[in-house]
Amino acid sequence: MREEMVVASSLSVTFEQHKVLDGVSFKVGEGEVFALLGGNGAGKSTALKSFLGTVTPSGGSASVMGLSVASQIDVIRQKVAYLPESVMLYGHLTGVENIEYFLSLAGITSAKDKIESALKRVALQQDAWYRSLSNYSKGMRQKTAIALALLREAPVLFLDEPTSGLDPSAIDEFNQLITTLASEGSTIFMVSHDVYGACQIAHRIGLLDKGKIVGMFEREGDNPIDTEAVHASFSKRNG
Amino acid sequence: MISFSDLKREAAFLSKQRYVVFFLLVALALSIFSVWSGVAETRAQIDTIERLLEKDAIDREDALSKQSDYGSAAYYSFHLTYSEPSPMAFAAMGQRDIYPWKHRVRMLAIEGQIYETDADNPELSFLGRFDFAFLISVLLPLFVILLLHDLRSSEREAGRFDLLIVTAKEEKQLWLSRALTMSLALALVLLIPFLIGVLVTGASATEIGLMLLVVLGHLGLWTIITLFIGNPKRSSSQSSARIASRLLAVWLLFTVLIPVGSDTVINELVESPSGGEIVLTQREAVNDAWDVPFSETWRAFLATHPEWESKTSMNSQFEWKWYYAFQQVGDQKAAELSHGYREATQQKDTVASIVALFSPPMLTQRLMSSIAGTNISSSLAYEQRVRDYHASLRSFYYPLLFNDGEFSHQALSGMPIFGESQANEAESSD
Ligand SMILES: Nc1ncnc2c1ncn2[C@@H]1O[C@H](COP(=O)(O)OP(=O)(O)O)[C@@H](O)[C@H]1O
Ligand SMILES: [Mg+2]
Repeated sequence: MREEMVVASSLSVTFEQHKVLDGVSFKVGEGEVFALLGGNGAGKSTALKSFLGTVTPSGGSASVMGLSVASQIDVIRQKVAYLPESVMLYGHLTGVENIEYFLSLAGITSAKDKIESALKRVALQQDAWYRSLSNYSKGMRQKTAIALALLREAPVLFLDEPTSGLDPSAIDEFNQLITTLASEGSTIFMVSHDVYGACQIAHRIGLLDKGKIVGMFEREGDNPIDTEAVHASFSKRNG
Repeated sequence: MISFSDLKREAAFLSKQRYVVFFLLVALALSIFSVWSGVAETRAQIDTIERLLEKDAIDREDALSKQSDYGSAAYYSFHLTYSEPSPMAFAAMGQRDIYPWKHRVRMLAIEGQIYETDADNPELSFLGRFDFAFLISVLLPLFVILLLHDLRSSEREAGRFDLLIVTAKEEKQLWLSRALTMSLALALVLLIPFLIGVLVTGASATEIGLMLLVVLGHLGLWTIITLFIGNPKRSSSQSSARIASRLLAVWLLFTVLIPVGSDTVINELVESPSGGEIVLTQREAVNDAWDVPFSETWRAFLATHPEWESKTSMNSQFEWKWYYAFQQVGDQKAAELSHGYREATQQKDTVASIVALFSPPMLTQRLMSSIAGTNISSSLAYEQRVRDYHASLRSFYYPLLFNDGEFSHQALSGMPIFGESQANEAESSD
């Protein structure tokens, strides 16, 4: 088992002289669900994008599966799935067509029934599968993108605010899904500002504030991380 | 690097984008129209030539039958000269609209006859008629800009950029296959009507091949220009509108400013007599000849035609050989101007061909009309054929006029016909 699937070491990112990430370090092991928690503008999405090569660090380094983001990003991108913070797909295509298109971009041809079962798994209502995506709600787009991420069958998943836009029952289903994926060996790096939700599924939580890790919480045994403890620490800084 | 399956994927994707499909249909319609109007125009010119040729023979027969001496036979018979459009002419009508492509000439002084329909000094036209060459040289860059300027920026603006590049096997491959698919689709809608056009007119494989090279070259160049200016490293924070306006400025520079500006400068710098001046000089020379002593006319004539030295004696105040001699002298007096005019035209064309190296649309248009045989050189070559033919008429008539033989209709049957091997006869005379 590889312990260091996602590694940040002294990672710093600067946008126009503004230090958004300031020497962030952490490691995520295989089969682990790691959540980076923080308020708006804490630098969560920036941290996540540092592993996808869409943000260039000003210091430190990032690696995925032992591959350096700086030098081997093309290889990394074939091994990860990405759920963007705000899911935008092609409005002129149906849900299924969107998935087919993005999969073929990755060089994957998936059978229709495989796509349909993924859509069933994320509980996208069946009558929408072959309807134009321009009529989808935010939650429906979110589910489509999660299905796409599943179909990539990637060893590492990067999820940016995965439950935003989902209704409570869909959130439960999603949490179930993540737990199953992790137990099957997938590594999950997610970013969220939802303390409760993160505590439900994460094995570990890093608390990010103004570009710095200010706290680490770890699950003990099978019990979820103590929401109260995280919340106390979280609201102290965002209060 | 880009595989067939990349192109297939992007083609399917593109075919579902309604505005792209609509846009390609508009381009197709424009191409059909340009080809159709070009073919119709060249067809009409060919028909005109055929009709005039028939009439020309009948009229001349008719005129000749009424004559009883060689002088009036030459005076009353007209000869059609023409430059038939090549099978490729429809694609680039070029200078065919500006320079005359048919004349009816007589044995009288020729320079005036060549230039009388052409009193204005023809300019190097670029933004001219709407033909296939215009579509390819002027509009094609706009099509490419419209289709490809926001290749990346539109995805950025729609919030799909990161997901796209993280998902794609290789980022470059994604943009290249998209750009290539759009360019190929554009090439297809522009070239299909053209290929039907060449099937109809029967252009040669070489000409077709060269045309395709020029069209695809121009398309490729603008694809590269557009991709370069819309490059993410140069424009990560730039909106589609910003990129588009940059590209339009480049288009304006290449398509309007350089051609029109250079045209103005060239016409300013290169001194050229006008066609009207040539007509006037020649006409005055001919009119004055009536009042000039015979000896003066003969001296000027014999300077170029010494072989008739012994045949210049005259028995009356009007003899046809003297009349045609001063027509010839009229041409000799206009020769310098006419030569200067052609030199200047050639010189302007040469300068324009150098300027065209800095303006791809201008270069494209010039290459296309060169392949189609509709450029300035072709017009000048046609003018020269008219001169050569006229010279062959003179060398046919001069022996009949100077040798004072009996008139016979039989002798006229060997009269040269335009387009039938007058080249070697001309060489022996002028
Ligand atoms: N591309 C960018 N250019 C400039 N500033 C940015 C850019 N992306 C993010 N930022 C800034 O960096 C900070 C952190 O952003 P982000 O990582 O999106 O926060 P979070 O996801 O935690 O809400 C914010 O102040 C944001 O305005
Ligand atoms: Mg964010």
